[in-house]
Amino acid sequence: MATTEPWLMENGNLKGMSKETRHGRTVHNMSSSSLRKKSDMTLVSKVPCGIVRKVLANLQEVILGTKLSVLFPAIPLAVVAQSYGFGKPWIFALSLLGLTPLAERVSFLTEQIAHYTGPTVGGLLNATCGNATELIIAILALIQHKVDVVKYSLLGSILSNLLLVLGTSLFCGGIANLNKEQKFDRKQADVNSLLLLMGLLCHMLPLMFRYVGKLDAATIEKQTLELSRVCSVVMLIAYFAYLVFQLWTHREFFEAQEEDEDDDVTTEKAPVIGFWSGFSWLLLMTAVIALLSEYVVGTIEEASESWGISVSFISIILLPIVGNAAEHAGAIIFAFKNKLDISLGVALGSATQIAMFVVPLSVITAWIIGINMDLNFNLLETGSLALSILVTAFTLQDGTSHYMKGFVLFLCYIIIGACFFVSQTPLNQANDVNLRVESSTGAIFKA
Amino acid sequence: MASIEPWLIENGNIKGMSKEITRHGRTAHNMSSSSLRKKSDMSLVSKVPIGLVRRVLANLQEVILGTKLSILFPAIPWAIIAQFYGFGRSWIFALSLLGLTPLAERVSFLTEQIAYYTGPTVGGLLNATCGNATELIIAILALTQHKVDVVKYSLLGSILSNLLLVLGTSLFCGGLVTKEQTFDRKQADVNSILLLLALLCHMLPLMFRYAGGSEALTAKPTLELSRVSSIVMLGVYFAYLVFQLWTHRKLFEAHGEEDDDDDLVVEEAPVIGFWSGFAWLVGMTLVIALLSEYVVGTIEDASSSWGLSVSFISIIVLPIVGNAAEHAGAIIFAFKNKLDISLGVALGSATQISLFAVPSCVITSWIIGEKMDLDFNLLETGSFALSIIVTAFTLQDGTSHYMKGLVLLLCYIVIGACFFVYQTPLNQGNAINLGVKASTEGSFRA
Repeated sequence: MATTEPWLMENGNLKGMSKETRHGRTVHNMSSSSLRKKSDMTLVSKVPCGIVRKVLANLQEVILGTKLSVLFPAIPLAVVAQSYGFGKPWIFALSLLGLTPLAERVSFLTEQIAHYTGPTVGGLLNATCGNATELIIAILALIQHKVDVVKYSLLGSILSNLLLVLGTSLFCGGIANLNKEQKFDRKQADVNSLLLLMGLLCHMLPLMFRYVGKLDAATIEKQTLELSRVCSVVMLIAYFAYLVFQLWTHREFFEAQEEDEDDDVTTEKAPVIGFWSGFSWLLLMTAVIALLSEYVVGTIEEASESWGISVSFISIILLPIVGNAAEHAGAIIFAFKNKLDISLGVALGSATQIAMFVVPLSVITAWIIGINMDLNFNLLETGSLALSILVTAFTLQDGTSHYMKGFVLFLCYIIIGACFFVSQTPLNQANDVNLRVESSTGAIFKA
Repeated sequence: MASIEPWLIENGNIKGMSKEITRHGRTAHNMSSSSLRKKSDMSLVSKVPIGLVRRVLANLQEVILGTKLSILFPAIPWAIIAQFYGFGRSWIFALSLLGLTPLAERVSFLTEQIAYYTGPTVGGLLNATCGNATELIIAILALTQHKVDVVKYSLLGSILSNLLLVLGTSLFCGGLVTKEQTFDRKQADVNSILLLLALLCHMLPLMFRYAGGSEALTAKPTLELSRVSSIVMLGVYFAYLVFQLWTHRKLFEAHGEEDDDDDLVVEEAPVIGFWSGFAWLVGMTLVIALLSEYVVGTIEDASSSWGLSVSFISIIVLPIVGNAAEHAGAIIFAFKNKLDISLGVALGSATQISLFAVPSCVITSWIIGEKMDLDFNLLETGSFALSIIVTAFTLQDGTSHYMKGLVLLLCYIVIGACFFVYQTPLNQGNAINLGVKASTEGSFRA
C-alpha cells in the first residue's frame, strides 16, 4: 500500500533525489513518465470512508494517470462491437485505439513494480515487458497460423523504432535546440547498432538460401527452418549477454543523465500504488491487451479489404505506429528537452529488444507449437531492414545530432512506407506455409 | 652462423635493448607468434663435446622443439605413413591437418629469424608474403587438382575466421580482463577500407550472374572482370605494403615494448644463422606442400565419412586448424591489454588473404589454364559482406569491451551453422569443377 501521499509530490521536482532511489529507472520508464499527469486527489480525498478512498485513489492513479486516458473508452466499445457484430473494420480500429493507452499503462505499472524489486529485476522486467504489446500480438497471430502477420508486425516495429521514433525525436530536438549542439553518449548507440547488425546477419542468411537456387524447394524450406532455429537460439544468447552487460557489468553506459536539469523531468520519488495492487493491475491489463490483440489479429484481413490497403502495409506501418505511440511521444518530449540519451535509449533499446528477443522468441514458440516460422522475412522487408540499420548506425556513430539527421531518418521511413503501400502483393505466394490468408489474397486482388 | 650464445639471452628481458637496432621487422604478426615460443633449454646440448655436432643439435632443438606446438610434430610422419600404408583416407586428412598447425607456426618463426639479417623492410615483405603460406599453398595445390571450389571456400573461410573468430575471441577475452580497452583505430581503418575494396571486387562478378542472361552468356565476362580485378587488387596490395613498411611505418609499429618488459618473449638477436634459417624455411615449405597435397586430395573422402559438406570443412575446419597458432597468440596479447597486436594479426591476415592470396590464385589459374573467377556465390559473398561491415563498425571508435567480441564470435557461429546446414552439391555451383562429383553423392547419402 502506498504510504507517501502522492499529491504531496511536486510535479517534476527532483529536490533531494539521490541516485539510489532510481530503481530500475531505465530510459524506457523515464520516457513514458513524461506522459503522466499529476493525479488531482482533491476530489477523492473528500470521500469519507478510508478503504473506498484508497481504492478510488488507486483507480484514479492507474486509469486516469495519463493523458492517453481519453482513449480508454475504446476498449469497452471494441468489446461491444465484437459481441454485437458491428463491421469488422470497426472492431479493428477500436481495438487498435484501445491498445494505445494500455501499452503505456503497462509500462507505468512495470516501473511501479520496479520500485519494490530493485534496479536489476526492474531492468529485467522492463527488458521483457517493455514491448509486451508486440509480443502478445505476435504470439496470437502465430496461434492463428498467420506467420506473415507476425513477421511483418515485428519488422514494422523495428523499422518504426529505428526510423520513425528516432527520426522525429532527432528532428524535433534539433529544431528546438537550434543554437545548442546536441550530444549523446555513443557507446550505448554502438552496442545497440552492433546487436542489430548481428540480427541482420541472422535474417540475411536464410533469405539467401532461397536465392542460391541450387536445390529444390522442400530442401530449401527445411534448411531455412533449421538455420532459423539455430540463429534464434544464438540471438537469444546475445540478448542475455546484452542484459548482463547493460544491467550489471557496464551499467554506467546506460545510466540516464539527470543531474543537470531538475525542473522539467517528472519523476516520482516513491511508488504511487502498492506492489500487489500494481501486480494485479498488470495482469489485468495484460489480459485486456491479449483480448484486444486477438480482435486485431482476427479482423486484420477484413479491415485491409474494406480500407483497400494491403495486410502487409497495415502490419508493417499501422500496427507499430499505434502500438508505439506512447513511447514515441515520450521520446520526442525528451528530445525537446535536449536529453537525447533517453530518446535514444527508448528507440534503440526497443528496436534491439524486438530484433533480438521478440523475434527469436516467436521462432522458438512456433517451433514448440509446431508451426513453421523461419527468419526469412523476404527480400523487400530484409532490404529495408538492412538499410535502416545502416543509416541509423551511421547517423549515430559520431555522438552528435542535428535536425537534418532526424529529417533524413524520417524521410527514409516515409519511403519505406510508400514502398509497402504500393506493393500490393498476395501474401501466400511469398511464403508457402501461410495457409490462412488465401481468402484475403483473392479479396485483395478484387479490391 | 649465430655468433651470440642464445642461451645467454634472458627470456623476456629487454635490458639495454635499443629500438633502432633490434626491432628488425617486428611486425605484430611476428610478435604474436613469439608468445608461443619457449626458451630453449641448452643445458643438455652444451654437454656434447664436438663443436659442430653441438651447433647442429642446438639448431635442431631451437627449430623443432622451440614451440609449445611441437607436440603436434609427430603427426607429420604419421600422416606420411598413413598415406603409404593406405589407412583410412579421413585419417590421412586429420593427421595432415594436425601436422600443418606447428609447421605454420615454425614458418612464421623462421621468417622472423631471417628478417634479422635482411633488415626491417625486406623482413616485413617476407612476412607479408609468407605470413599465410599455408593458405596459399593449399589454395594453389587445390587449383592444380582442379578443385576450384575448395580454393574459394578455404580462402573465404580464412578471411571469415580472421575477421570474426580470431578478432572476436581476442576482444572477448580481453574484455573479460579489462573493462574497456583502447587501440589505435588508424590501422583498423586502413584494413577496413581495403577489405571493402575486396568486397566490391567480389560482388560485381556475383551480380553479373544475377543481372540476367544465362550462365553461358555471363561466364566469360565474369572471368575477364575477375582477372582484371585481381590485377587491381594486387596493385592495391603493393601500395598497402609501401604504405605500411615505408611511408607510414609509425601507424603500424607495435606499441608497448617500453612499458611491459617482463612479459614479452623478445629475442635480441637471431638464434639460428641466415643460411640455416633459409634452408629450414625451404624444407618446411616443402613439408607443408606435401601435407597440403594430402589434405586437398582426401578432403572429399573425409567429408563423406564424417558427414559434413566439403564447403563446411573448407570454410570452417581448415582455417581454424591452419590459423591456430596466430589465434592463440592474438588471444594472449588481448589478455595483456595489447589490442593493437591482436588487431594487427587478425586484420593483417584478413587483408593479406583477400588482397594477395585470392588474386594470386586467380592469376595462377589464368596461367595454368584453369577457370577461376571471383564469384564466390551468394551465400559466401553475403557472409563476407556482413562480416566486413560488422567488423568495421566494431572497430571504428577505437575502444572495445567484451560485448563486441561476443557479438563477433556469435556471428561466426551463425555463419558456421549456416554452412553446416547448407548441404549443397558443389558442382552445381561451379560448372567447371569436375573433381567433386563423387563427393556430392557422398554428401547427399551422408
